[in-house]
Amino acid sequence: MNVTMTINGTKRTFDIDPRTLLLDLLRENGYKSIKKGCGEGSCGACAVLINGRPKTSCLQFAAQCEGATITTAEGLGTPDHPHPLQTAFVRHGATQCGYCNPGSLIAAKALLDANPHPTAEEVREALDGNLCRCTGYVKRIEAVLDVASGGKKA
Amino acid sequence: MLKHLTQFYRPASVEEACALLAARDRRNVALAGGTNIAAVNDSTIEGLVDLSGLDLSYIRRTSDGYAIGAMTPVQDIFKSAILTGPAGQLLRSASGRIGSTLLRHAVTAGGNLVALFPWSDLPPALLVLDAQAVCRRGVPKRTVSVKNMIDAGPRHFLQPGEILTEIQVPEFGLGTGVAFRKMSRTHNDYALMTVAVRITLQGDEVKEARIALNAVCKKAQRRSDAEKQLENMVPTPERIASAAAAAVHDLDMTTDFRASREYREEVLPVLVRRCIDEALHQARS
Repeated sequence: MNVTMTINGTKRTFDIDPRTLLLDLLRENGYKSIKKGCGEGSCGACAVLINGRPKTSCLQFAAQCEGATITTAEGLGTPDHPHPLQTAFVRHGATQCGYCNPGSLIAAKALLDANPHPTAEEVREALDGNLCRCTGYVKRIEAVLDVASGGKKA
Repeated sequence: MLKHLTQFYRPASVEEACALLAARDRRNVALAGGTNIAAVNDSTIEGLVDLSGLDLSYIRRTSDGYAIGAMTPVQDIFKSAILTGPAGQLLRSASGRIGSTLLRHAVTAGGNLVALFPWSDLPPALLVLDAQAVCRRGVPKRTVSVKNMIDAGPRHFLQPGEILTEIQVPEFGLGTGVAFRKMSRTHNDYALMTVAVRITLQGDEVKEARIALNAVCKKAQRRSDAEKQLENMVPTPERIASAAAAAVHDLDMTTDFRASREYREEVLPVLVRRCIDEALHQARS
């Protein structure tokens, strides 16, 4: 079966098996920022934005995304022009091994898109599905709050 | 892994979805958020019927409460600005305790009710709110109590080709208090115990008491004996303690790797008592 989706601004059509999970489809087609961590929706390493909603792509059939707009960490910024969240994560040392970063950035972007000035509690809640195996939980909250304040809290 | 899945349908109407689910020559299954089906091993499923194109994602005010579309993500319930009264508050509290933010964007109100796991958080809240479920089998429609649906087991209750389309929840005015507590190892983890309570007062007396549990038993259930100990009485600390004890009495308590039966027996009455106290406090204020 065919499925068409717009990934990071580019419209793409794939010929898929109906069993294909969105996570596998994206990784097989070069979107390697997405990680397969637990495969059961607990760790958030595979988070992507689907029509603006942050979801775990490991619990999503690719076929569910017909006509959807998908954003992965590749679509946030480039090494030359990083997204403000990426810059803040680097500046605050919110990246250690980096495994959780793509998912955490996606969850943070979804929060700031809906709520540009969140409280620390709201940031904690928005990132509650993104486990960090390095336990770097505080620095990423500081990074998101930094972006939300326009750099005033840096 | 769905070993024998070969078809994925995207119906554009409820009638079309029901016709696909009624097919006799193959086993088609309704797909809501997908968080359950995407992870299960079931070699009997041959087709998935995606319900996302049926316009069933909404929260609306009605003359006596709220109507929630079956495909509404529970995150939308958690963050809803129109769920304002005690019933709305309970729906938001229960929805906010389902999994993590990432999961709440995918899990739907209808999926959480129909899949009905021991750890499902919304069903006990729907039970104490006397919620109703709208089920459609193509054009024919029936409105049934969520309690009847849960008691029968939603998957058995729904006939072939029938889907849950809407959940209706009455709102309660002044004199009603609610409480919801989920106990889990971490905030996002599956529940060890879930308690939902609604108390509606008339003067000093309890007019209606509703106490529902989940995670401590195979499926969500109301505890009628405990409710009767409070109804038509002026609640005193002794009566509340007695009702909390009755809520646990004769319960086929679960024992699993998360918590033993003995642990649950010890802690559950305390949670129930605290929920009753909290609901009463709110009902009086």
